[in-house]
Amino acid sequence: MNANPIVSDETFSEKEEDSHVKIVNLQKVFPVSRATLFNKKIENYIALDGINLDIKKNTFVSLIGPSGCGKSTLLNLLAGLDSFTSGEIFIEGKHLTGPGPDRGVIFQNYALMPWLTAAGNIDYALETACPELSPSQRREKSRYFLNMVGLERSMDKFPRQISGGMKQRVAIARALSINPTMLLMDEPFGALDALTRSYLQEEVLKIWEKNRVTALLITHSIEEALLMSDKIVLMSSGPSANIADIIDVPLPRPRIRKIIEKNSLFIDIKLKLEEHLLRETRAVEESS
Amino acid sequence: MSAKFAVLRSFLVSGLSISLFCVVWELIANANVIPNFPGSLQTFGELIWWISDPFFDNGPNDLGIGFNLLISLRRVLIGYTLAMIVAIPVGLFVGVSKTVKSSVDPYVQLLKPVSPLAWLPIGLFVFRNSEITGIFVIFITSIWPTLINTSIGVQSVDSDVLKVARSLGASRSNTIIKVILPAVMPNILAGMRISMGTAWLVIVAAEMLLGTGIGYFIWNEWNNLYVANIFVAIIIIGITGFILDQLFEFLQLQFNYDS
Repeated sequence: MNANPIVSDETFSEKEEDSHVKIVNLQKVFPVSRATLFNKKIENYIALDGINLDIKKNTFVSLIGPSGCGKSTLLNLLAGLDSFTSGEIFIEGKHLTGPGPDRGVIFQNYALMPWLTAAGNIDYALETACPELSPSQRREKSRYFLNMVGLERSMDKFPRQISGGMKQRVAIARALSINPTMLLMDEPFGALDALTRSYLQEEVLKIWEKNRVTALLITHSIEEALLMSDKIVLMSSGPSANIADIIDVPLPRPRIRKIIEKNSLFIDIKLKLEEHLLRETRAVEESS
Repeated sequence: MSAKFAVLRSFLVSGLSISLFCVVWELIANANVIPNFPGSLQTFGELIWWISDPFFDNGPNDLGIGFNLLISLRRVLIGYTLAMIVAIPVGLFVGVSKTVKSSVDPYVQLLKPVSPLAWLPIGLFVFRNSEITGIFVIFITSIWPTLINTSIGVQSVDSDVLKVARSLGASRSNTIIKVILPAVMPNILAGMRISMGTAWLVIVAAEMLLGTGIGYFIWNEWNNLYVANIFVAIIIIGITGFILDQLFEFLQLQFNYDS
């Protein structure tokens, strides 16, 4: 089961220029220091091992797996926020060298700057990533992207004055404002209540279907992955986590939750995913 | 309506408590257990005398209380401001860089527990000037709480916010000025508040040895054996310290990001 399939899209012929992200034999090892009474031992914890993944341009890919399997680690590596131990990552054919505004990152806990207003947060992103813009152009863009996420009336509100869902919408607007070719989302709906979550999922889906970029979503939710993705990457449990399976989700777009939930394909894939997650989670729980 | 009532109630209770305290004080003083111990009436009489004409100048040993207070405040403000100019940037760098932390930590750990008054003879020896020595002592006093609070604050900045800044391609200096500094503002202000509190405590003690200022006023009245005036000074020092502290509470409210 832990075979490590190299992704290939069977319906299309493999073309290099279609590939946005190519991960080859990636390994990530964390040094873990364990202090005992007399000495300090540095042990190596292999978080990710032998990851091979190909993400096509402007597709939506979800990463799903048991807790602690290194999903966030992989996202951080792609964002250029952490260095990997061995292997290779190519972004649009070029070696990944570090973070860059071609990739917009969205975190679970919004990561808004609490001293800035909603518009101020976007303005900071624009000022940092696109220094060529004038203040008035930045203001224009801030307004445009807040409008896109339906927050034009909360432009001048501070994060403490708005709900969790609104905060995440600001974070989404911020990530989109710098015009990235790729969106990296680390459980973006994880901290929201169920109703807000399903509302925001559909909002993000709508925005993405209108303005396609390459999207990588980390999630714990099978329904979320099915609703949004073209492909679902299943990760095995860590340590030495790798990719267990990659499942295509050929459901038609634009997707509407109520309609696709009744699709027999949706139900089939859902069962398959549940089975996998249960098995991997059991492996995690019983190993400790 | 009920909130207003609660405020009124707390004022009434505080007022009642102070009145009761003054009555007991006066009674104890009149019982003459300690000979010539000033009562509350005498003390408040003196207080009114001193604040009705705070600015007279009959030489260094007979200076109005307003002048003495301003002298102390000036020393505190200069020493404190210089300390902040050092403590905040150093605290930021200590928080950001492990190397800076390791090189600054020994001084902080060693010097923080030392009473600032221990620096007074060093100041006099180096500067040969009591005014600069006072400022120097306040400078040393004020540095530590702000430096430590700032550096701890840097370490507790939301790591996701820092990741966002990095993913946007922010440079290190941009991150420090535009992200870390505002994020740490509440910690800096909390440190500044503690620094100001300690500086105000220390200036009184330092001035007893330096001449002029509200601390010297106390020492002078002790030499005159006029204890009522010492109580007057204590009341004025207390009120001034309270006002300074409230100023920082107001500033802290402006930088409270949570509510």
